[in-house]
Amino acid sequence: MPISRRALAAAFAVCVALPLSACGSGGDGGGTADASGKVEGDITFQTWNLRANFKDYFEGVIADFEKKYPGTKVKWVDQPAEGYADKISADAAGGTLPDVVNVSPDLVAPLAKAGLALDLDKAAGKYKKEYLDGAWASHQVPGTQGTYAFPWYLNTGPLFYNKALFKEAGLDADQPPKTYDEVFDAALKMAKETDGKVATLANVPTIEDFGRYGVELMNKQGNGFSFNDAKGVELLTKYKELYDAKALDPQALTATPESSGKKFLTGAVAMNPGSALDLGNFKKQVPNLYKNIGITDQITSTGHVNMYVMGVMVNAQTKRTPAAVAFAHYVTDAEHQMSFAKQVAIFPSTAGSLDDPYFTKEDGTDETRVRVAAAKSLKNAVNYTPVLFSEQMKTELRNEVAKALQGKESPKEALDNAVKACDTLLQQQG
Amino acid sequence: MATPTVSRIRRQLPTSPWLFAAPGLLIIGAFILYPFLSTLVNAFTDRRTLIPGEFVGLANFRELLGDDMFWIGLRNSTLYVVGVVPALVILPLLLAMLVQKNIPGITFFRSAFYTPVVASIVVVGLIWVWLLDERGLVNSLLETIGVGRIGFLSDQWLLLLSAMAVTVWKGLGYYMIIYLAALANVPRELHEAAAVDGAGAIRRFVTVTVPAVRSTMVLVGALSSVAAFKVFSEVYLMAGPSGGPAGEDTTLVMLVQRTGTGLTGRVGYASAISVVVFVVTVALMLLVLRADRRDET
Amino acid sequence: MSVMEKVRPKAPAPAREPRVTDEHGRRIRVWELALRYLLLLGVLALTVGPFLWQLSTSLKGPTEDIFSSPPKFLPGEPTLHNYERVSETIPVWDYAFNSLKVATANVVTNCVGAALAGYALARLRYRGRRAATLAFILAMLVPVEGIIIAQFTTMRELGLNNTLVGVVLPGSISALNVLLMRNAFLNLPYEIEEAAYVDGANVWQRFLRIALPSVKGTVAVVAIFAFMGAWDDFLWPLIVLSDPSKFTLTIGLNYLHGTFANDERLVAAGTIIAVAPLIALFACLQRYFFRGVGEGAVKG
Repeated sequence: MPISRRALAAAFAVCVALPLSACGSGGDGGGTADASGKVEGDITFQTWNLRANFKDYFEGVIADFEKKYPGTKVKWVDQPAEGYADKISADAAGGTLPDVVNVSPDLVAPLAKAGLALDLDKAAGKYKKEYLDGAWASHQVPGTQGTYAFPWYLNTGPLFYNKALFKEAGLDADQPPKTYDEVFDAALKMAKETDGKVATLANVPTIEDFGRYGVELMNKQGNGFSFNDAKGVELLTKYKELYDAKALDPQALTATPESSGKKFLTGAVAMNPGSALDLGNFKKQVPNLYKNIGITDQITSTGHVNMYVMGVMVNAQTKRTPAAVAFAHYVTDAEHQMSFAKQVAIFPSTAGSLDDPYFTKEDGTDETRVRVAAAKSLKNAVNYTPVLFSEQMKTELRNEVAKALQGKESPKEALDNAVKACDTLLQQQG
Repeated sequence: MATPTVSRIRRQLPTSPWLFAAPGLLIIGAFILYPFLSTLVNAFTDRRTLIPGEFVGLANFRELLGDDMFWIGLRNSTLYVVGVVPALVILPLLLAMLVQKNIPGITFFRSAFYTPVVASIVVVGLIWVWLLDERGLVNSLLETIGVGRIGFLSDQWLLLLSAMAVTVWKGLGYYMIIYLAALANVPRELHEAAAVDGAGAIRRFVTVTVPAVRSTMVLVGALSSVAAFKVFSEVYLMAGPSGGPAGEDTTLVMLVQRTGTGLTGRVGYASAISVVVFVVTVALMLLVLRADRRDET
Repeated sequence: MSVMEKVRPKAPAPAREPRVTDEHGRRIRVWELALRYLLLLGVLALTVGPFLWQLSTSLKGPTEDIFSSPPKFLPGEPTLHNYERVSETIPVWDYAFNSLKVATANVVTNCVGAALAGYALARLRYRGRRAATLAFILAMLVPVEGIIIAQFTTMRELGLNNTLVGVVLPGSISALNVLLMRNAFLNLPYEIEEAAYVDGANVWQRFLRIALPSVKGTVAVVAIFAFMGAWDDFLWPLIVLSDPSKFTLTIGLNYLHGTFANDERLVAAGTIIAVAPLIALFACLQRYFFRGVGEGAVKG
C-alpha cells in the first residue's frame, strides 16, 4: 500500500521496543515527595482534549496561579482525545512526563505502580477533606498504599429514550422503565412490536454494567476478579435473551459508544445512556429527534449510579514538587471546579459544591432538570470500573460476553473464562 | 525484477557508492532497523510498558501456540492475503486497460480514480463505516431494490469481507498506475499482429496483455500480499478495537497493538507476535521473488 | 514515447471530423465507446462518491437533519458555517502551516535521499551492494506499529523530541521510496550513461545530469507519496510533539472528535480540510506523475 503504515490516526502505538534500561521506574528520579518547599519554578500542565472549548478558562486559571505565586510559570499543553494513553505511555517510558497531568483512574494505576505518580496522601494529605470521600478514594490503587491523583471533574448522566418509538410500540412514553426488569420487559416488547427492527439497547454489558447490576466485581483483597458469580451470570443470561429477540441491537457486538450514539440519533435504537452534554448535541444535530427525547434516571440495582472520574496527578519525578502539587490542588479546588462546572455540563468533586444552588434549583428547562438530578445522584455515586481493569481486560470481557450472546458458550462459561483471563492479566501487571 | 546485464560502469571513487547510500542507510538503520532489533530482544523477555522485563527464553512463543487469539489473528491475516491479493492483481489491470485508451476526458477519470489512494485511511474508514451501517447509504439502496438490509458490520465474515472491499477500493488506483506504466511498454506490434490473426479481445488479453505485464503482476502480488498480511487500519476502523464480534476479526497486527499498547501493555509478548509477522512477510516476499525467478528462467 | 505523452492536454481532435481513436490510432466503435464511458462513470461513482457525500455533509447547516432516511444527497441550504466553526475551534492555519513545513521537508529529504540511495543500489558497483539492498527490503517489511516507542526513545536521546525535525526524521528516507527509485534507475538503458562515461563524466555528473533527469516522473511519484505520508500521519507527530504550537493539522483536527464537540458536520468539514490539499497537490502534479509512470518507473 502506498500509505505510510503510521498514517493511521486511530490510536495504536505499541510500546514494543524499548531498550531494556530506559524504563522509567520510580525512586531514582530527580524529584522529591516533599511538597513543603517554596512554590516556584516552571512546570508543565497537560490536559486531555480541553483546549478547543476551554482555552480562555484555563489561561485564566494559569494567570491567576502565576499571580498568586510569583516566580512560577505554568506551561499548558493539551492533547487530543485519541491516542492519549499512547502519548502518556511514551512519555512515561521516555521520562518526559509533564509535571502535572490530567488522568483517569485506569491511567493512574499503572503509573502509580511504576512509581511515577506522587502519593498525595503523603505530599498533600491536608487537602483530602476538601473533596468528596468517594472521589478522593477513586485514585487509590489496590496493592499500593496511597492516593495518586487529586479528584477533578465528575460526570454521570441519565438514560435517554425515544418517546416516538415507545409510543409506536405501544409502550407508555411517560412511564419509562425504572428498574432492570422493566427495561428488559420494555425491550422485549419493543422488539416484538417492531418485528425486531427497533432495538432498545445498543451496547453489550461492560464491567460497569455488571457493577451497577449488583455484581461483586473483585474479591476483597483486590487481587482477583469475581464477576462470574450468580448475579453476573443472571445479567448475561438476560442479555442473551434480549440479543436473540433483537431487543439488543444486532450490531451491539461491534458497537462503540460513538456508533451507538449515532444509532440512537437515527432512531434505530430506542434508549441510550448519556449525559447533560448530549442534550445540546441532540438539539443541534437532530432537531427532529429532540422533541421526542424522554429522560429517565440511570438504571441501577445497587442504589448507586455509575460516575466517571477525572483526576489530576503529579509526576513523582518532577523537579518542582511544591509548585506542581500547589498547581494540581489549585486547579481542582472548590472555587475552580465550580467555575469550570458552570462552563460545561460536568460536576465538581469537591465537598459541598454540589449543594450550590446551581446544582439544586430547577428552572424548568431540560438542561437544569438533568443537571439537578445528576448532581443529586452523584453524592453517593460509584466509579464501578475497578482501577486495575485495563484496556486488555476490557477486550477479554467484551469478547467473552460476545461469545455468550452468540451462543458459542454458556453465560457461565463465558464469565468464567473472562475472569480467568483477567486474573492472568492482573498478575502479569505485577 | 529484471536486471540488465549490460556492462559495468567503473569510473567512480571507491567511497562514492557509500556516500550515495549513506543518508538512506543511516535513517533506516537508526529509526527502523535498530528499533526493530530491540523488538527482537524484547520478544524473549516478559517486559511490560513500565516494568523492565527479564529474559524468559521461548516462553512467549510457547504461549502463542496455546493462544486462541493468535490463531484467529493468523487465520484472518492469511485470509486477508488470499482474499485481497487476487483482486488487487486483476482488477487494477482491467481498470488500467479501461483508462488506457486516449478518449476525451480520460485524464480526469484517471485522476479521479486515484483519489481514494490520496485520502488518509482514517478518513476512508470513517466514510465507509457510515456508508455500510445498517441504516447507511448502501443498505438504504439495497432495501430500495428489494434485497433488504444486510448487516455488513455485525457479522464476522461480512465484516472481514467489507474490510477487504475497502482495501481493494483504496488500492485500485495505486496499482492501476503501476499497470498503466507496464501497458505503455507493451509493444503495439504484438497487439496488431494478434488482431490481424483475428484474435478477439479476450484472446488478445490472455495471449498478449497478460504475458507482457506478467512481471508487473508479480510485483503487485508481492507488494499487496505483504501489505495485506500486515493489515491493521481497515479492520481496526471497521470492526472496532476489539476486533469484531467476540474478537473473531482480529488480525495479527491488531493483536500486536492490543496486547502491547498502553500503560499496561505486555511489550514482550507483543514483540513475539511482531517477530512472527516479520518472519511471515519475509517468507512471502521470498516466495514471490522465487516464483518470479523461476518464471524467468 | 509513451501513451502518457499523448494524454497530456493536447489540442482536441480536429473538430470537423469527430473521430475518436485509441492509443494505436485505430478507430473505436461507438458502442464500445459508450460502454467504456458507462464503465468509467460507474467506477467514478464508486471512487469519488464517498468523498462527495462527506463534502455534502460538511456543507449542511445546523438545522438540517443529517441522519435522515432516505439520505439527502445535497445540502438544503449550503453553508460554510461548519468550516468557520472548525477554524474557531482550532488554529487551522497555524497547524496547516506546521503540516506544510513537515510535509515539504519530507518531500525534499525523500526525493534527494531516495534518489541517491536508489542510484547507488541500481548503478554503482561495490562490495556490500546486496547487503545494502537487503537492508532496505527488510526495513520495508518491519511492522512499524511495533517500534514507535523505541523510535521515540531514540529521538529523545538525540534531543529532538518536541521538534518538527523529530517529526520528519524517521520517515525522511523511506525504504519503499528508495526501492522505487532503484527500479526506475534499473530500467534506464545503460547506453545513455555509457556515452557520458566515455566522455569522462564522473559519477556525480552522470547522476545529476543524465540519470536523474530521466527519472523525473518517479521523483514526482516519490514526492506525492512523501507528502501524503507526512500530511496524513497522526500517531508519530502526536507522540513526538508536546507543545501545541507545533502541532500538525492531523493532530489538530483530532480535537474535533473529542467528547465536547462531537458534531458530524464539523468532523466532515475537518476531513475535507485534511484531504483537499492532497487532492489539489495531486491535481497539480498529476501531469508529471502520469508521465513518470510512463517511464516505467514502478515497473517490475
